[in-house]
Amino acid sequence: MKRSVLAVLLVALLAMNVSAALPPNPLVVDPALFQEIGTKGGELVLGLGSSPRSFNFYGVVDGPSYTVIYNFLDPLVMENPATGEIIPGLAESWTIDETGTVVTFTLRDVKWSDGTPFTADDVVFTLEHVVMNPNAEGNSLDRFTLGGRPVKWNKIDDRTVEAILPVPYGAFTRVLSHALILPKHKFESYSAALNPGVEPGTINKAWTLDTPLKDVVGTGTFVVTEYIVDQKIVLEPNPYSWKVDPEGNQLPYVDRLVYLIVQDPEVMMAKFRAGEVHRITPTGQQYPALKQDELAGRPYRVLAGSPVDPTPSPPHLAFNWDVADPELRELFRNDTFRQAMEYTVDRYRIIEDVYNTLAIIPGVPVLPANTAFYNPEIEKIMRPYDPEQAKKMLDSIGIVEKNGVRVLPSGRPLEITLTAAANMQANNDIAVILKSEWEELGIKTHLQLISSTLVGEKRQAGEFEAIIEAFGNQPDPQLRKAIWQPGNPLYYWHRSTMDKNQKAVIGNMVGWELRVFELFELAEVEMDPVKRKALYDEWQAIYAEKVPVIFIAKGMALTAVNDKVGNVFTKDNGQIVGTNYTIYMK
Amino acid sequence: MFRYIVRRCLMMIPMMVIISILCFVVIKLQPGDFTTQFLHDPRMSPEMVAQIRTRLGLDQPAHIQYLTWVKGIITEGDFGYSFAYKRPVHELIWERMAWTVGVAGITIIFTWVVAIPIGIYSATHKYSFMDYFLTFIGFIGVSIPSFFLALVLMYVYLSLGGTAVGGLFSQQYIGAPWSLAKFVDLLRHLWIPVIAIGLGGTASLIRLMRANLLDVLGTQYVMTARAKGLPERTVIYKHAVRNAINPLISIFGMQLPSLISGTIIASIVLNLPTMGPFFYDALLNSDQYLVMTFLMLSAFLMLIGNLLADIMLAWSDPRIRYE
Repeated sequence: MKRSVLAVLLVALLAMNVSAALPPNPLVVDPALFQEIGTKGGELVLGLGSSPRSFNFYGVVDGPSYTVIYNFLDPLVMENPATGEIIPGLAESWTIDETGTVVTFTLRDVKWSDGTPFTADDVVFTLEHVVMNPNAEGNSLDRFTLGGRPVKWNKIDDRTVEAILPVPYGAFTRVLSHALILPKHKFESYSAALNPGVEPGTINKAWTLDTPLKDVVGTGTFVVTEYIVDQKIVLEPNPYSWKVDPEGNQLPYVDRLVYLIVQDPEVMMAKFRAGEVHRITPTGQQYPALKQDELAGRPYRVLAGSPVDPTPSPPHLAFNWDVADPELRELFRNDTFRQAMEYTVDRYRIIEDVYNTLAIIPGVPVLPANTAFYNPEIEKIMRPYDPEQAKKMLDSIGIVEKNGVRVLPSGRPLEITLTAAANMQANNDIAVILKSEWEELGIKTHLQLISSTLVGEKRQAGEFEAIIEAFGNQPDPQLRKAIWQPGNPLYYWHRSTMDKNQKAVIGNMVGWELRVFELFELAEVEMDPVKRKALYDEWQAIYAEKVPVIFIAKGMALTAVNDKVGNVFTKDNGQIVGTNYTIYMK
Repeated sequence: MFRYIVRRCLMMIPMMVIISILCFVVIKLQPGDFTTQFLHDPRMSPEMVAQIRTRLGLDQPAHIQYLTWVKGIITEGDFGYSFAYKRPVHELIWERMAWTVGVAGITIIFTWVVAIPIGIYSATHKYSFMDYFLTFIGFIGVSIPSFFLALVLMYVYLSLGGTAVGGLFSQQYIGAPWSLAKFVDLLRHLWIPVIAIGLGGTASLIRLMRANLLDVLGTQYVMTARAKGLPERTVIYKHAVRNAINPLISIFGMQLPSLISGTIIASIVLNLPTMGPFFYDALLNSDQYLVMTFLMLSAFLMLIGNLLADIMLAWSDPRIRYE
């Protein structure tokens, strides 16, 4: 394997004269992303669900903006789109000292798309003054603050940067892979720290959509060359791109990457069918119609792959441990009750009826495809659909049936209000199925189907009894600590583990919650990947056993792609791959 | 007349103030603000969200926020800043103005050019087959929501093998310099929005024109005109239509705000680069100064439209005097 990589590198070096702008040490993109070596040229047209709000990655929190920006900016280290592993990006290598707190990066010798050399100054500026700037709206200060102290960045020389961590931090390279590096020469005038008289928050006004595009420079495979308000964005290859295919050809292959802004999903599908848009992510509802077209010989392929992305977020069921009613509160805190309720969730029926079979049994909540963190043991712990078992367990805790109605120990009938988002088809349908299962058991169920915004507000205010909600599957559990570790704002089913000042209240955690709390703290400062995995394995096993939330299903990765597009395909492990810089047009 | 116009213009100032207060109160009554969405983001700590709120001035009492905004308009002509786009609101609205006014203008012209002649025809050929037929089409137009009609038209056009769906241009012409081919492409796309958005308005105008004209045709001065031997064309166009069209001129004034606010859902469905979908997003995000400015613009156009309608009425009907 090593030798073949070397050979590939050699080929890449020999091919250097192909493009004068190729850097001395280009990155050879993982061969797993290629079905064939592509040919240059052509135009790839993709859809964008709404207008981006800015070209400034740290100025907004906005999905469409991120989609566009990822084409022209790069992080120091990146996630390999084929495997999710951390691989070199703008840093061609890095070392960690024996204390686990000093990380030294050697930077790649590349240029910004305007020809300016990329140096350590760009890296230190971006991390210190933008990524860790609390006034930047899309900042990541929290991720780079460990034990209350910030990570320090030092320039050693033009090609070397050192990060000093206050404590070891296992997810460090993972969080770095989400920190895109900005050109200091275009951004420094917006920094309040470097320019006396500039207001804090001005950093957010850099690279708004009215910026002359020649100033929006990057290190990515593409650069933005045209933006037509609310209609389209055009990107063209960056002459200084530092990614090459396994044969050493500079990437990307396509001459133009066009994002058409189309808000309505039905219109997007119509444009795909008409051949105007080359690739879309269909919904589960659109999938059958497109598949039918494909079988009827229309020129596109419709793929369903094993889920690897954080979205679509897998729905889960949660009960409110802090609900006002004391009897329900006690019930919802009872492990046996929640385990009984897991037996009422018919995951296979939901996958069939709600998802048109395009879903899988989810992890808790690490995805099965996430080999770095998934604990397969949970499959033995998760409870399959078994209403008889549910009945027995409810009987065992004194929730017995009288005249077809289950009553609480006080003699009051058990009634539960189930809240779900009416405008999210899957959540809505799952709620309806659960209601019928619960009524079968003698639990009177009231559905509260409201808009997703309201569901989110009720969730955060703790105004619910049972709820269907969904959070994305981030690959690294550390990055979702704010959800899954007790004592955090999004650990919403047991909010009393946190006080008014958002600090964890250890005294309010039950035994296993305390252990989960501890596991996240330990894993955070663990640098050894094997030990980190062991800690998160234990967390998953506890979640599967104690079911603080009951995970229901995870939608598969869907993509529909025109036959003119090459290198979008399903790998042997069932995962769909196809990045904008490996795609070529046939 | 001049004094009347000046008086009306001065009246607009208190009106706009009252409208702006009402709009601001309604915006503030909705739960949450622009930063609420960040509370659901695991990357953002609640302290960070509080910091953003402070920076955007959202932690101040509502009346202070309102007065600061008004002060900006009066002293600097600054309509505020969009939280989502980090840019001055007036720039964002201005960028979208051309297509918004263009599409709405063409639609309004279509509506009137089609509706008035049909209304006249229907009234003068009362109870004929064509009258019934056009009336029938009119009822359909009134009863079908424009976004639905847009979807049906697109579906039919696609299944007949058409490809020009959604938006105003095929992809390659977006942003290209104007040429004959680009203009033809625009026409290929434009007819669906114009029919889908315009048909509802056309239908109700036809009904109005027909009813008004029928009323006028029954009056004695029309009978007199006919009795003195005037040609039928003169009777209808010079005497009857001129009187029947008065109420429609008032309606015309009311249509001015729809130049910018138009039909939001239909514009989303049709993927038009107009203000409607943009405004809708701003509403969802509680991007408050963008919403306020947009509503103020809409209210201003409404007031101007009414004034214009009154002036046009005075011009078309010599009996109306405002002194």
